[in-house]
Amino acid sequence: MALFILKRLGNMALIMVLVSLAIFLLLELTPGSVATKVLGPYSSEEQRQIWLETHGYLEPLWVRYFNWLSNFVQGEFGDSIRFKVPVAEVLWPRLWNTVVLGFWTFAIIIPVSLVLGVLAGMREGALLDRSISVTSIITTSVPEFASAVFFSALFVFGLKWLPGTSTMNEGFDPLQLVLPVLVLVVYDFGYVTRMTRASMAEVMTTQYIRTAVLKGLPYRRVILKHALRNALIAPFTIVMLQINWLLSGVIVVEFAFAYKGFGALLLEAALNQDIYVIEACAMVAVFVAAATQTLADIGYTYLNPRIRFS
Amino acid sequence: MPERRKGALHPHIPELREKLRRGEIDRRDFLRTATLLGMSSAAAYVMAGLRPGQGVTSAAHAQTPKKGGNLRVSMNVKAITDPATYDWSEKGNLARHMTEPLVRINKDNIAEPYLAERWEASEDLKTWTFHLRKGVKWSNGDDFGADDVVFNFERWLDPATGSSNQGRFSSMTETIDTGKKDKDGKPVMSTVGSAGAIEKVDDNTVRFHLNRPDLSLPESMGDYPALIAHRRFSDEGGDLVKNPVGTGPFMLQDFAVGEKAVYTRRPESWWGGDVYLDQITYVDHGDDPSAQLAAFASDQIDTNYRTNIEQVDVMKSIPNLVNYETVTAQCGVARMKVTEPPFDNKALRKAIQACIDNDRILEVVYFGRGAPGEDHHVAPIHPEYAELPKLKQDYELAKKYLVEAGYPDGIQIRIDCVANPTWEQNACKAMAEMLKPAGIDLAINIMPGGTYWDRWLTTPLGFTSWTHRPLGVQVLNLAYRSGVAWNETSYANPEFDKLLDEAGTLVNVEQRRQVMAKLQQILQEDAIIHQSSWRSIFITAHERVKGIYAQVAEEHHYNKVWLA
Repeated sequence: MALFILKRLGNMALIMVLVSLAIFLLLELTPGSVATKVLGPYSSEEQRQIWLETHGYLEPLWVRYFNWLSNFVQGEFGDSIRFKVPVAEVLWPRLWNTVVLGFWTFAIIIPVSLVLGVLAGMREGALLDRSISVTSIITTSVPEFASAVFFSALFVFGLKWLPGTSTMNEGFDPLQLVLPVLVLVVYDFGYVTRMTRASMAEVMTTQYIRTAVLKGLPYRRVILKHALRNALIAPFTIVMLQINWLLSGVIVVEFAFAYKGFGALLLEAALNQDIYVIEACAMVAVFVAAATQTLADIGYTYLNPRIRFS
Repeated sequence: MPERRKGALHPHIPELREKLRRGEIDRRDFLRTATLLGMSSAAAYVMAGLRPGQGVTSAAHAQTPKKGGNLRVSMNVKAITDPATYDWSEKGNLARHMTEPLVRINKDNIAEPYLAERWEASEDLKTWTFHLRKGVKWSNGDDFGADDVVFNFERWLDPATGSSNQGRFSSMTETIDTGKKDKDGKPVMSTVGSAGAIEKVDDNTVRFHLNRPDLSLPESMGDYPALIAHRRFSDEGGDLVKNPVGTGPFMLQDFAVGEKAVYTRRPESWWGGDVYLDQITYVDHGDDPSAQLAAFASDQIDTNYRTNIEQVDVMKSIPNLVNYETVTAQCGVARMKVTEPPFDNKALRKAIQACIDNDRILEVVYFGRGAPGEDHHVAPIHPEYAELPKLKQDYELAKKYLVEAGYPDGIQIRIDCVANPTWEQNACKAMAEMLKPAGIDLAINIMPGGTYWDRWLTTPLGFTSWTHRPLGVQVLNLAYRSGVAWNETSYANPEFDKLLDEAGTLVNVEQRRQVMAKLQQILQEDAIIHQSSWRSIFITAHERVKGIYAQVAEEHHYNKVWLA
C-alpha cells in the first residue's frame, strides 16, 4: 500500500515539473513585452529597456526558468504585474475564498445529490425517479451565466431579498454567499444526482442484492449495508472531479457576482497577461487536480477491495 | 527673457476681459485662459461675473452640506504603488484623496490652482513661476514646499523612473548621447531632464525654464500621473500603499488590489476647508457591468466610476439613481500608420475617409450622446477649436480615390481594436459596413486591452481611444508632431510642426484658433485618422449623493461631496 501511494506521489511530482515547463514556455511565447505591461502603453522604448535590464528579463530563457522554478518551490512565485505585490499575497486569500464557496456548495450538493440519486435509483422508472431525473436534466442544462441572471432578476431586482454582488468588502457576509452558492448548486447537483442514480440502479439489479432481498433482510438494511457502498464508487469519482471544477471552473459565477475567488483571479490574470499570477494559478490548479486524482485512487481501494488487491 | 513683477496680471488678461465684455469670448474661455495665465481662480470667477466655485454650466444648489457617512464607489482597484507611473485614471482617483496635484482640472475643463496657489508665465511662455500654497501639511506632519515639487519633477524626468510625465513635460528635457553603442554600433541616446530646468526660488516658489514655449504647462500638471509625492517618497520605499503620506484630506485605511480601497478623513483640518465625508470605500466589481448594476439595485454602492453608454437608460429604471453626463474631448480614432503599406497611400486613406458618415456612427454606436468627429482630433470643447466644413459621405468620390490608389477592385484591410469597452469594436463594425459598398473589406481583429496596448504604436491600422485633454494643442503635440513618442500614425509634416510651434506661443484664443484651423485642415486633408465621435461620459449616483459631477477626465473630486 505504501509503495502504491509513493508511486502515485512520484507520478504527481513528475506531472508538476512537466506542466511547469509547459506553462513557462507557453507564457514566454506570448507576444508583448512585460515592461509595457508594467510601465503602461505610453512608456518610451528607453524606459522599457531600463526596466527589463533591472528586472533580469534579458537573461537567457533557461536561466530564468530555473530561477523561477527554484523560487517557486520555496514559495516565492514572483511579483504580480497587475497587483504590484508578491503573487502569494493575492493567491492564498483568493484560493481561500474559493474554498469557502466550494465548501458550502459541496455541503449542499453532496447530501442532496446522494439522497436524491439513491431514492431515484432504488425505484427505477417510478414517478419519483422520473421527477428527479427530469429536474436534474433541466437544471444541469441551464448554463451558470443564465441561472445567475435569472436568480439576480428574481431575488435582487424583483423581490429585493438578496444583495446583487458578493465582494465581501465589509467582511464575511453569509447573505452575499447565497446567490453564488445557489447558482453552483443548481448547476451541479443534477449531474451528481444522475451519476448516483445510474450507479444505484445498476447495483439494485445485481444478483447479491436480489439474494439479500429474497432471504428476507429488511429493505433498509439491504440498501444501507449492501447496495450503497458499491453504488458510491461512481459518485465518489464525480465528486473528486468536481473539486477541480470548483477551483477553476467557477469563473462565470465569480465574475457575475464579483466574488473575489481563485477563478476570477485566473481570469483577470489572463486578460492582463499577468504572467507570474497565471503561472502560480496554473500550478495550483494542476496540483489540486493531481492531488484529488491521487486521493481518488487511494479512496477506490477502500471502497472496492478488488482494486486494492489487483 | 522678460519677467513680470510679482503679483502683476499677465498683459493679455485686460484684453481678455474686454473680449468677454464685448461677447467675443464666453465665460468658459475667459476663465480657462485667465487661470492658465496665473490669475487666481477666485479673481477670474469674480471678473467673469460668477461666484467662486460656481459652475459656468449649471446653477449652484443652495443646500447645506451634512457631515458624515461613507461614500461607496464601484471602480476597479488597481495598484497605486507609484503615482509617477500611473497609466489609468482609476489609479489617479485612488491616490487623489491622499496625494494632490499642483493644478486641478475642474468640472468646467478649466485648470484651477490647487497645491500651487498661483503662477506666472513670462511673455514668451518659456519661464513659468509657480507659487506654492503655504500652510499645507503632509500627513506625517512635514510642511509641503518647493523641495517636494523639485523632487517630483526631477524624478519624473529621469528615464529610470519610467514616468509618462517625461513626455508630458518634454519642454524640460533634452536628448543626450550616453556614450554607449547598441548592437548595431549606433550611439545609445537617452532623454533626460535639461540642466537648470527646475529652479527652487525659495521654500514656496519653483521656477521652470523651458526650452520651448509651452502654453499647456499648468494643464499638464493637472494630469493624473502628476500627483505630488512627498520629497522622501523614494527613500522611504517608493510605495504609496505601504507608506501613504499625502497632503490630501483623506488617509488610506485599507487597500487590496482588485478588491477594495478604504479611506478615512484625516483628523486635522485640510487646507481646502471643510470635508464632509467620513469615509470613502472603493469596491472592485471586476469588468462585468451587470455586477455594478446589481450592486446599485441592492444599494451596495452609492456611485460608480463610469456608466457605459449601453447602461445609461437601464440605470434610469432603478429608483433613486441619477445619471450625470459631461461632454468631453475623449474619443476613439481609427488611425493609419502612414509609413506602412497600404496606408502610406494617401489616395487610399482619402477613399476610406469618403466612405465614412461620422454622424451616423455617433448615432448607431453612441446613441448620439456626444459630437461627431471631424478627423482632426480637435474637439468642439477645446477653446481653440475652429469649425471646418462638414465631411460628407461620398461613394463616387471614394471609388475615384480607390482607382487613383491602384485598387479599382477594392482592397482587404484589417483593423486591431480592443474587446472592451464594446463601443470601440462597435465603431469598427459600423466602419466596416460603410466601407463595404466601395469594395473595401475591413476585417476586425478584436483583442484584449493588454494585447492591443502592446502594439498600438506599431499596428498598421488600429482603433485607439484617447482620453480628454483640456487643450487642442496638447493633443496635437502628443500625437501628431513629428517623432514624438506617442505619434502612433508616424505622421511627419514639417509645415504642420511649424504651425504647431506657432500655435503653442499664442495666448490669444482667437489668434490661436486661426492657426488651429490650418492645422485641423492639414490633418483632415491628409486623412491619417478617422474619428467618428467625441463621446460624452456618464456616471451614476444615488440621489442622496450631493456635490458630485462627471468630470471631463473621469477624475473623482470628493472633497466637497456629501451624503444627504
